[in-house]
Amino acid sequence: MILQRPKKRVSYLNTAIGFPEFGRGGWVTGLILLFYVVFYIFLAGLFALTMYVMLQTLDEHKPTWQDRLSTPGMVIRPKADETFEIVYNIQNTESWDMYTQTLDKFLAPYNDSTQAQKNDECTPDQYFLQEDSGDVKNNPKRSCQFNRTMLEECSGIHDRYYGYQTGKPCIIIKLNRVIGLLPGKDGQTPYVTCAAKKEDSDKIGELMYFPPNGTFNLMYYPYYGKKAQVNYSQPLVAVKFLNITVNQDVNIECRINANNIVTGSERDKFAGRVSFKLRINTI
Amino acid sequence: MHVNIFPISGFVQDSYNMFEMDGEMEKKKKKKIKKKEKLEGMKKEMDIVSNDSYNELEMRYNTSVTKGMTSTFAQQILERDGPNELKPPKGTPEYVKFARQLAGGLQCLMWVAAVICFIAFGIELSRGNLTCFDDLYLAITLIAVVVVTGCFGYYQEFKSTNIIASFKNLVPQQAVVIRDGKKNQINAYQLVVGDLVEIKGGDRVPADIRIITSQACKVDNSSLTGESEPQTRSPECTHENPLETRNIAFFSTTCLEGTAATGMIINTGDRTIIGRIASLASGVGNEKTPIAIEIEHFVDIIAGLAIFFGFTFFVVAMFIGYAFLEATIFFMAIVVAYVPEGLLATVTVCLSLTAKRLARKNCVVKNLEAVETLGSTSVICSDKTGTLTQNRMTVAHLWFDNHIHAADTTEDQSGQSFDQSSETWRSLARVATLCNRATFRPDQEGIPIPRRLVVGDASETALLKFTELTVGNIMDYRNRFKKVVEVPFNSTNKFQLSVHELEDPLDLRYLLVMKGAPERILERCSTILIKGQELPLDEQWSEAFQTAYMDLGGLGERVLGFCHIYLNEKEFPRGYRFDPDEMNFTTSGLCFAGLISMIDPPRATVPDAVMKCRTAGIRVVMVTGDHPITARAIAANVGIITEGSETVEDIAERKRIPVEQVNKRDARACVISGGQLKDMSSDELDDALRNHPEMVFARTSPQQKLIIVESCQGSIVAVTGDGVNDSPALKKADIGIAMGIAGSDAAKNAADMILLDDNFASIVTGVEQGRLIFDNLKKSIAYTLTKNIPELTPYLIYITVSVPLPLGCITILFIELATDIYPSVSLAYEKAESDIMHLKPRNPRRDRLVNEALAVYSYFQIGAIQSFAGFTDYFTAMAQEGWFPLLCIGLRSQWEDVHLQDLQDSYGQEWVNIKMCDWLGTGFLLPPCLFVCRNRVLVSAIVFQLLLGNLLCYCPGMPNIFNFMPIRVQWWFVPVPYGILIFVYDEIRKLGVRRYPGSKLKFITSLTIFFLSITLSTVHPVSSH
Repeated sequence: MILQRPKKRVSYLNTAIGFPEFGRGGWVTGLILLFYVVFYIFLAGLFALTMYVMLQTLDEHKPTWQDRLSTPGMVIRPKADETFEIVYNIQNTESWDMYTQTLDKFLAPYNDSTQAQKNDECTPDQYFLQEDSGDVKNNPKRSCQFNRTMLEECSGIHDRYYGYQTGKPCIIIKLNRVIGLLPGKDGQTPYVTCAAKKEDSDKIGELMYFPPNGTFNLMYYPYYGKKAQVNYSQPLVAVKFLNITVNQDVNIECRINANNIVTGSERDKFAGRVSFKLRINTI
Repeated sequence: MHVNIFPISGFVQDSYNMFEMDGEMEKKKKKKIKKKEKLEGMKKEMDIVSNDSYNELEMRYNTSVTKGMTSTFAQQILERDGPNELKPPKGTPEYVKFARQLAGGLQCLMWVAAVICFIAFGIELSRGNLTCFDDLYLAITLIAVVVVTGCFGYYQEFKSTNIIASFKNLVPQQAVVIRDGKKNQINAYQLVVGDLVEIKGGDRVPADIRIITSQACKVDNSSLTGESEPQTRSPECTHENPLETRNIAFFSTTCLEGTAATGMIINTGDRTIIGRIASLASGVGNEKTPIAIEIEHFVDIIAGLAIFFGFTFFVVAMFIGYAFLEATIFFMAIVVAYVPEGLLATVTVCLSLTAKRLARKNCVVKNLEAVETLGSTSVICSDKTGTLTQNRMTVAHLWFDNHIHAADTTEDQSGQSFDQSSETWRSLARVATLCNRATFRPDQEGIPIPRRLVVGDASETALLKFTELTVGNIMDYRNRFKKVVEVPFNSTNKFQLSVHELEDPLDLRYLLVMKGAPERILERCSTILIKGQELPLDEQWSEAFQTAYMDLGGLGERVLGFCHIYLNEKEFPRGYRFDPDEMNFTTSGLCFAGLISMIDPPRATVPDAVMKCRTAGIRVVMVTGDHPITARAIAANVGIITEGSETVEDIAERKRIPVEQVNKRDARACVISGGQLKDMSSDELDDALRNHPEMVFARTSPQQKLIIVESCQGSIVAVTGDGVNDSPALKKADIGIAMGIAGSDAAKNAADMILLDDNFASIVTGVEQGRLIFDNLKKSIAYTLTKNIPELTPYLIYITVSVPLPLGCITILFIELATDIYPSVSLAYEKAESDIMHLKPRNPRRDRLVNEALAVYSYFQIGAIQSFAGFTDYFTAMAQEGWFPLLCIGLRSQWEDVHLQDLQDSYGQEWVNIKMCDWLGTGFLLPPCLFVCRNRVLVSAIVFQLLLGNLLCYCPGMPNIFNFMPIRVQWWFVPVPYGILIFVYDEIRKLGVRRYPGSKLKFITSLTIFFLSITLSTVHPVSSH
């Protein structure tokens, strides 16, 4: 019987292109390197192409998806570095000076003069809609004025120190910008309320909100994005603590009240609310 | 038939030396040196074994050759010596086995990673930062992974060991012992030295015993010596060597015939000869299995690379300006991302799946890793008896009417039968039937004749079964011819005869039937039966007889001659007193009826299996204790020696030249007997193995078997065997294969695999499965490696370019251990490439499980494509949510700043810091799915993967537990173009391999040109645009 000669073992996995082995001709090594260069150029090209195509599909003014922004976040000013605490000593000017400076800087764009120059006066209590008509873009879009004076006692105009010097500090609260967000349904104006955490409820004392009732006027919505609405002024709410207990930690939580915004779950501590600690030392 | 014990005794001497026992050689040496009494005492002990008088025996063991010892004393000895049973080889303690599962190379890396996590967590904690529990979770997960995979591996190992435990004979052996002068039946393990035991035909010898009285006692020493010829046991000491003397029967051998021989126990338990050989086997080191070596090799590479990558990026991170702690965490994360945590579990599952499949085909694997070993095997040293052959003498040929007739030797009697019409056949059958002392054991009506149990020796059994099959109802037939007298076979006469009354009550003649060695039978004949006619036996018939005898003998068959005569009615009337000793009747001038030859025929499936091995590039070497002629005949029959192959002796005979002048390279086949082997140096043996592809070793001793196995090693050797004497070779082999039915416990203990049906053909299945699992493991590992790159690159990009982290560690662990296990395992179900049994066995030094080509292919080609796919998906998702690619770069520190709650995206929207680290991670789930798939299981695996991925993504509550966020359905489809690319690329590569099988160069060139042309053709319209 004639023997069948065993064939050389050829497995497809075995014969993948190997790295250049030493001892082979230099030009083989070169060829393999060339292959990899071409291969990676090809891949990079494909990557660039897909990126390019993907970027083409994006709208300049509005992100494709906003599913992670259904509840906008809230932030306070002034903000000390790395913490959500405002702790200072009335006696020690330096301890609160930085807060007032932060606020000065933050509020500078809201100066009445600047606002009057850049933005329009709008009809309050209704959305300021500037829809595009079909393909004709209605750009650039105008923005409504939010004047610093609307913050009254917390505007820093009459009281340069925002009440910090007297132990009646102002905290400014803003709602994160989200394109197209229309807070409040059926003409109801969203407003901010602040309260102390349970154990501190008797320490917080009286509060004052500016604008009155701590509302975000509807005319500032919707937001059309930084490209279309270059001079957009984010509405603010200031909270003034009139007789907060001194020399003790007071934990405060402020939240947005709007009938179409669900304030945050346990997990997202900054969705529709903000917590911080306030402590004013007198000694 | 003469019995060559010599090499065997040599072996046992060695074993004696090994155990510092007093062997013959030692004895001689000591005689020379003339040492003190102590040594004399030891020598004496040896003497006792064979030629002490009974008195001395009684003195020594405080016993009596008639009454046995007292029960109380026996009890004392039992306490002193321990029970009479072989101690199972010391296994590794269970906790060590478990610890080993936890301390592999990869596991150690994971422990280190877990420790780093704990330290990081501890530092965070001491800083008072309680918000970050991620490190703790990760540490716990890592430890859980190690422990769970460890438990899993341990369980698999435990399960396969358990299979073996179930083989152990649960029914304790019984023995008849005489104590206090009374016969008792007790469990054999309670026997002690000095006990008087009784054995009879069919019993297993319960310990090493010195025969005191015996009657026609014969034992089967095959499990000890490999010699299948029954050997007589009698009280006389016939030889100085305990192994050759007749008055000692050995533990675990079987007493074939004889009634109530008594003997005194001289050794029990592990001190018996069998016990010593068994412990010799456990002394032979266990070789590492090839797959274990491969996996170790792989783990080394992976661990090395993981540490290398980790360290490199640790240094890079330090340079970039990360804090030390952060850099350490990066190191840990890279290790976690890089190490294929699920791989070991995958390998275990793949192996145990194959083990299960093999078990269904009658191969039970003791050590999971042995599953693959058979696939790498390039030499099989096969035992003859029982493995290649049916292990029962069967009538193969008959010579009558001057013609050789072939009988049916198949196991199930499915073969052709011969012409039974001749008158001569009837006479021959009558002689064969009557001149036969073998009988069937009672109550076996339902069992097919070839499998019935018979009392009698091998050739008589063969004849009995043969006549039962051809004539039918032998017991009845014998009763019709009443036996008057018989002379049993003995070595001087070399014949056996009996005288019978005739069936016909009117015919008062006696019939004398005789069988025996053909030449002796012929001497006594004067006529020959041809076609029913009695013709004078002249020169011509004599010559015809000689030719037939030589022919049958040349086939390695045992030939018996048969003749008969009707005794003269007047000379031997009814009632004549026949005297078997005097032989007062006619024993010459008989009528020759014919020859019947017997052989242990090969199993029907074996020739095909050997052929398959040969096409698979596996050499089958026969190593047997049997005669060279028989061995050669069987080898030729099953195809170990192929048709047309000649040995050196054949060529010498054909060319009529002396053996020395023949060029050894011309002879394909070679038969080496144990005697020749003894005089060969190991170099000569290696030479012979190299020069002759078809080898048969005959008359080999266990030690020689070991030498042969060692000479073959270098390539991977499989050894089959069943006897205790095979156990050292079984252990030495890369894979020892024991026989499930005929195999002794010692052989099964030493083996890695057990063939439940004792069939050589099952080995071929094993080889096929072993090769398949190797190929499939390769695919599985390629899949795993491929996946590693898209898991690792996010981290590298995260560290160097500071994009938000695309894929977190916990997610990686989920991908590795939850969603990807099933696809990896499903690759074990891949069908064999059709020519798997037409390829040479792999070269263990060259064909690694993971070689450069595989790694390069997985890492730099498919892995690269998948990474690009992952990043495409990541950047797409980010961009569509409002984070353009360029903004992402360098965003990391702000992104991860817990206190920055109004981070601006590309549209001017402000984001709070949501724990986004993992919300895109699942996008990386998809690319591995794109790995090319072929079979249905793999498709179902991918469906499973997608479902589990979806569950992890979309199940409510998941975000809180694992930080997974549902990803948009649209994003699943982003990597599709890359999937198509992988598919197309792989197909092209396969095509290239097929088209340019030899030339890597052309293949690479064409691939390069292919990619270059695509790149250019896309660049061209874009640039001209």
